[in-house]
Amino acid sequence: MASQRREWAEDEEFDDPNALPQNQVISNPDGTKTTITYRLSDSGKKIKTTRKIKISVVKERVNPRVAERREWAKFGREQGHPPGPDMSTTTVGENILFKPSLQWKAVEKEEEATGALKTQLKDKKVSCRICQGDHFTARCPFKDTLAPVGEAPPDESRPDSPDLGAGGGATGGSYVPPHLRNKGKDAGAGSSSFNAGRERDDLATLRVTNLSEFAEEQDLRDMFERFGRVTRVFLAKDRDTGRAKGFAFVSYQDRLDAQRACEKMDGFGYGHLILKVEFAKRSQ
Amino acid sequence: MRPILLQGHERALTQVKYNKDGDLLFSVSKDHVICVWYSQNGERLGTYNGHQGAVWTIDPNPSSTILASGGADNTIRLWDMKTGKLFKTWEFPTAVKRVEFTEDGLFVLGTTEERMGHLGTIVVYPVNPDIEGEQVNEPSLRIVCETKKKAVVAAWSYLGKYIIAGHEDGSVSQYDGKTGEQLLNVPVHERGMLIMDMQMSADKTYFITASKDKSAKIIDVKTLNILKKFETDTPLNTAALTAKKEFVILGGGQEAMNVTTTSARQGKFEARFYHKIFEDEIGRVRGHFGPLNTIAVHPAGVSYASGGEDGYVRLHHFDKGYFDFMYEVERTRAQH
Repeated sequence: MASQRREWAEDEEFDDPNALPQNQVISNPDGTKTTITYRLSDSGKKIKTTRKIKISVVKERVNPRVAERREWAKFGREQGHPPGPDMSTTTVGENILFKPSLQWKAVEKEEEATGALKTQLKDKKVSCRICQGDHFTARCPFKDTLAPVGEAPPDESRPDSPDLGAGGGATGGSYVPPHLRNKGKDAGAGSSSFNAGRERDDLATLRVTNLSEFAEEQDLRDMFERFGRVTRVFLAKDRDTGRAKGFAFVSYQDRLDAQRACEKMDGFGYGHLILKVEFAKRSQ
Repeated sequence: MRPILLQGHERALTQVKYNKDGDLLFSVSKDHVICVWYSQNGERLGTYNGHQGAVWTIDPNPSSTILASGGADNTIRLWDMKTGKLFKTWEFPTAVKRVEFTEDGLFVLGTTEERMGHLGTIVVYPVNPDIEGEQVNEPSLRIVCETKKKAVVAAWSYLGKYIIAGHEDGSVSQYDGKTGEQLLNVPVHERGMLIMDMQMSADKTYFITASKDKSAKIIDVKTLNILKKFETDTPLNTAALTAKKEFVILGGGQEAMNVTTTSARQGKFEARFYHKIFEDEIGRVRGHFGPLNTIAVHPAGVSYASGGEDGYVRLHHFDKGYFDFMYEVERTRAQH
């Protein structure tokens, strides 16, 4: 008797680490079935697959001869294969739009033309160097007023404070690359009269950053109009997705309004983000 | 319209054909194998193995019990459709390019090539519908074609009254189905332009031919008058008449030997749809990347299959837009 009793350590119940749990089939109240299967992957990991299956019965009346042929056993190279299409021989192709029409040639040509334009522009992304919008830099609404976004150093050499510009470029808080260090000076010294006509505009333009990508131009306008007359709002959008890129420019007619808006709106919560509002920098 | 791609062959397709009920689709190619598929879902039911060369042609009998095939191994073979078993082989001196059953399934015709001193012939064998039963060894009829005028394609007319043959010189002949006497011979296509395909209408009173001269023609069986003419810009390999809608489907494209020198777009590897009555082109279906060798239409007109030089069969089930298409005159007529 004693020999028949097994040690607890030899108990078969002891879990094999590679043992897979039983597959499960659960019938859901909405008529669907959930099947849970387990398998080992190539690297020895356990993989649990949960499938939700809805079975719909499609009834079709066919000739009895046809119905009988549906039951035929497979033969030849298909011998022994289970019923149902085999992925190695039967695949579903791409959808083809086929609509007979007398004007099919004209329709096709049109599609081709738009397709060609798209492929032409596919790998050429038009991006404005100033505001990163989806237009050419030359067409940018801010080309006269703003510096290119990426390379813009804080240009403090405004004509109204030329003495600050010379020093500010070099000694200011942020780094200015060497090739730009003298530019501010030149602009301030040499061509201040050239820029004078435009300065009103950029003095009243705010750069709003840290915008949520769901921001809308109208929302911005509504928000900023509280402080004065807004002459334009530009919200940079991604041309593929149509979503905001996270920054915008707001121009006021009056610099004082802009000043106030800048103070009030900096740190304002919009969407789920905190806005950063500052005066836009001038283009060079 | 989402085509089903059938990849059962390794070489160029030579013919595809539906059975009479339209539930099975047969395909043959140059790779020696015959495949049968369910036309509904593209599932392969089986293969018929035994040919020793390219298989050129195939035909299921009307009751879907026997399958006849002919190939470059100079044989016509009869197969048990259900099991894939070969039960009869007739041998010839040259390759067989076309086989076809009569409407009652009691006779099968075959065309043989002109080669190695043998003239092209059209042979007719009686078929015993009982698969277990004895089959004859000798043809009941043998029509010999003139030199340089072999029959490439042939088909039975209504009730097996005539045998219609398309010749390599572009002419079409009408033979008496019983005696084999040549009744008519009409040059319908340009001289010397091979007739590549010939398909009968459902009632077998007219047929459509496709030729290398870039045109397809609908011809009356009884008089061999040309009823309709479809001009294209590419050599045609195949032409099919659709049921339910009054269309024809033409397939062709650059010759296989020139394919590598042209792009798929220029190659014109499209199935072209023409209106049968008005002869206007109404659309094209792209997809193959080689010339279309063969097209077959479901007997009920719900789908069509095309086989290409690229080794694929594409099975298209028509969708609503196809059935809705009507000419203005058809529409006003339908309303009254």
